[in-house]
Amino acid sequence: MVDVDQIRRCVRCGACRAVCPSFEVMGWESFNTRGRMILIGKIMDGLNGSWALESLGTCTTCALCSQMCPAGVTPSKVVEDARRVLASRDITGAWQRELRERISSTGNSLGETGRRHGWLSMLGAEASYDIKALDVKADQVYFAGCMASYRYSETAARTFGILRRFGVSILPSERCCGSPLLRTGLDASECMEENLRQINEMDVDVVITGCAGCYTTLKNDYGLKVMSVAEFLAARVSELEIRPLDFTVTYHDPCHLGRVNGIFDQPRRVIKEICELEEMRSSRELARCCGGGGGVRAGYRDVSLEIARRRLADAPPEAKYIVTACPMCVRNLNEAGGHGRVVDLVDLVAMACRR
Amino acid sequence: MDALRDIVGPRVSNSPAELCCYSCDASQVHGLPEYVVRPLTTAEVSRILRLAYEREIPLTARGAGTGLAGGAVPLRGGIVLDMSGMNKILEIDVENLQAHVEPGVVVEQLNRALRPHGFFFPPNPGSSSVCTIGGLISNNGSGMRCVKYGTTKSYVLDLEVVLADGSVIRTGSKVLKSSAGYDLTRLMVGAEGTLGVITAARLRIAPLPKRRRLIMASFESSELAGMAVVKTFSAGIVPSACEILDSTTVKVLRRCDPNIVLPDGDIILFEVDGTDLSTAEDARRVSEVCAELAQSIRIASDEREMSEIWAARELVGAAISRLDPSKSRVYVGEDVGVPMKEIPTLMRKVQEISDSTGIPAMKYGHIGDGNLHVAWFIDVSSEEEWARLRRAADMIHRAAIELGGTVSSEHGIGGARAEYMEMQWGSALEIMRAIKRALDPKGILNPGKLDL
Repeated sequence: MVDVDQIRRCVRCGACRAVCPSFEVMGWESFNTRGRMILIGKIMDGLNGSWALESLGTCTTCALCSQMCPAGVTPSKVVEDARRVLASRDITGAWQRELRERISSTGNSLGETGRRHGWLSMLGAEASYDIKALDVKADQVYFAGCMASYRYSETAARTFGILRRFGVSILPSERCCGSPLLRTGLDASECMEENLRQINEMDVDVVITGCAGCYTTLKNDYGLKVMSVAEFLAARVSELEIRPLDFTVTYHDPCHLGRVNGIFDQPRRVIKEICELEEMRSSRELARCCGGGGGVRAGYRDVSLEIARRRLADAPPEAKYIVTACPMCVRNLNEAGGHGRVVDLVDLVAMACRR
Repeated sequence: MDALRDIVGPRVSNSPAELCCYSCDASQVHGLPEYVVRPLTTAEVSRILRLAYEREIPLTARGAGTGLAGGAVPLRGGIVLDMSGMNKILEIDVENLQAHVEPGVVVEQLNRALRPHGFFFPPNPGSSSVCTIGGLISNNGSGMRCVKYGTTKSYVLDLEVVLADGSVIRTGSKVLKSSAGYDLTRLMVGAEGTLGVITAARLRIAPLPKRRRLIMASFESSELAGMAVVKTFSAGIVPSACEILDSTTVKVLRRCDPNIVLPDGDIILFEVDGTDLSTAEDARRVSEVCAELAQSIRIASDEREMSEIWAARELVGAAISRLDPSKSRVYVGEDVGVPMKEIPTLMRKVQEISDSTGIPAMKYGHIGDGNLHVAWFIDVSSEEEWARLRRAADMIHRAAIELGGTVSSEHGIGGARAEYMEMQWGSALEIMRAIKRALDPKGILNPGKLDL
């Protein structure tokens, strides 16, 4: 499953070592990309690999290494594939098994038992989007994702409040997209089949999501036509009745939206309609990771939060908010010391909306 | 393990994953350590060395592990000392034209800190964004600008070194020149950690030039390109960089960054630096001198274009598989150097070696100081190609020595080129061995390197 050619092409120059966010925190060679490539080479040579679990587990799959690699290798992809090899050999961490159990029993990565679309009630009586009354068929659906549904329900409600004006619907029984499973090498077919069944039944053409993890999964693992909320807002910005706000913000590129899928300009276009934008110390293709992805948050929380603290230091001091377009980035950065300064693009739009 | 833990706490490891990751650098040299230790202070390094000395444990210091000759690979096992955690810039002393740094500082990190002061640290290897000052000093590394500015040894004023028995010495001082006794600083530069472990370095810095211009000249053959270099220097022009990119390298560069505009053929990139006026004059003179030999000449002065070209050039060595995904670049025989006048002969010899062994190569490098990087590329899964590659590497090393040159200009000897030391140095190697015995009587420091 691992593309062994990629490992052969690695000349161990170390260009990835200089940018690996987990290595910055951990300091040991096995926790940087080059070290991981060396270990994966050994695993593919037949070594058992249980001793590589922590090394591979701490990769956020931020793909900055893939961006920097002179040989054109994509180590973030190799790491994901290697995790799959380990899982197929039944080599997994306790946290991976717990994650799989949570998703399997509750349908979400957080293990929440409440209603996934409970946030619909926030849209008020006059909107009254009772889930049962929603469309049987729809061209476009909003895929909220686990994190927005259960941790940022206001953001989810705001997003759908806007999207609904343009005829966007939701799936009747959305499940976790499977991203946390896929990124950590586990099987996500159960989640995928359940979501795909609904998407097909509703004749959905485009899935819209505000989560970078869901975005890359729905697009690259499901193979669907996907649009990020940032793209949607950028296309409709003139119809949003926005009132400019008199402050400066910065924008944190979520790795899986920006570097991995090339969505850089759209969120910036929306922000510039609203207020001043001052870039972070590293941005766009070279933006550093928030530490929340690739299962690191679930498996190695201290590492994850320390990466986030370093990312916060990249923000220009004059920025009132650090705007981003992924709820996992919002959570990790706020918990690492952002204290509410980190907001979703939709939250900024809501501040500026006349309606 | 317990004794090491007493010194550095949790910053010691003997986990299989760590030992495996510290068993190699970017060369083909491998050796598994028994312990990896990440010290943070000179006192810790001193205690670790005393321990290693008492118990006669081999000890190999390592920076970022970007070496191309196995200098940081623990051939005899023992302890690997990962110095990359000692990464503080201790002082930038512009008034004295120097910076005081710990050995784990990354070259680019230092340059970023110096830029606001209007200064820079000239040695700039292709691995500047990764490699550490300690490793750079220990290999007397250099880079593109050294043709004008000199190699690392010209920039080291003073080193703090922990010797084999754990004692700590200083090899120099803050003064910019000194004629007091043996030059121990230069003895340590390029010693590849076989005489002591560097724990701090005082470095000379240089003012950033106001203006740079790039002259791109293309030629029908690399031999003609080499002749143009010799002609330029003998006309009295000292460019701040003089790089050759053969036609294969140019193709790889275009794959790396499709926006880069480079002419076809074998190219020489001359850079001149100075003021607006002086660079305009120098660029014109370079063009005039090369005019007879070149197919085309273009002068660039746009900062962005120049930095894009240099950025791509820095990483081109690792990028060969962009041209042919079935091939990988292997770092052997990649760093020979010859006297400047012999450059055209070297270019011809490399082509002959490539033809006779059937191993393709891209040729690039700091041709202005006689240093050619030959990037051989093979299908690494083919044993037969490996055998031919090793033959090609051997031939190029011998050719360089025969031309009065060196088997390594800036990457070091390590374990990869140790067998050529005797051929290159003759009886002088015995003197090196005597120095080694005097400073490291038990032979614990980076054993197995430099043929000592």
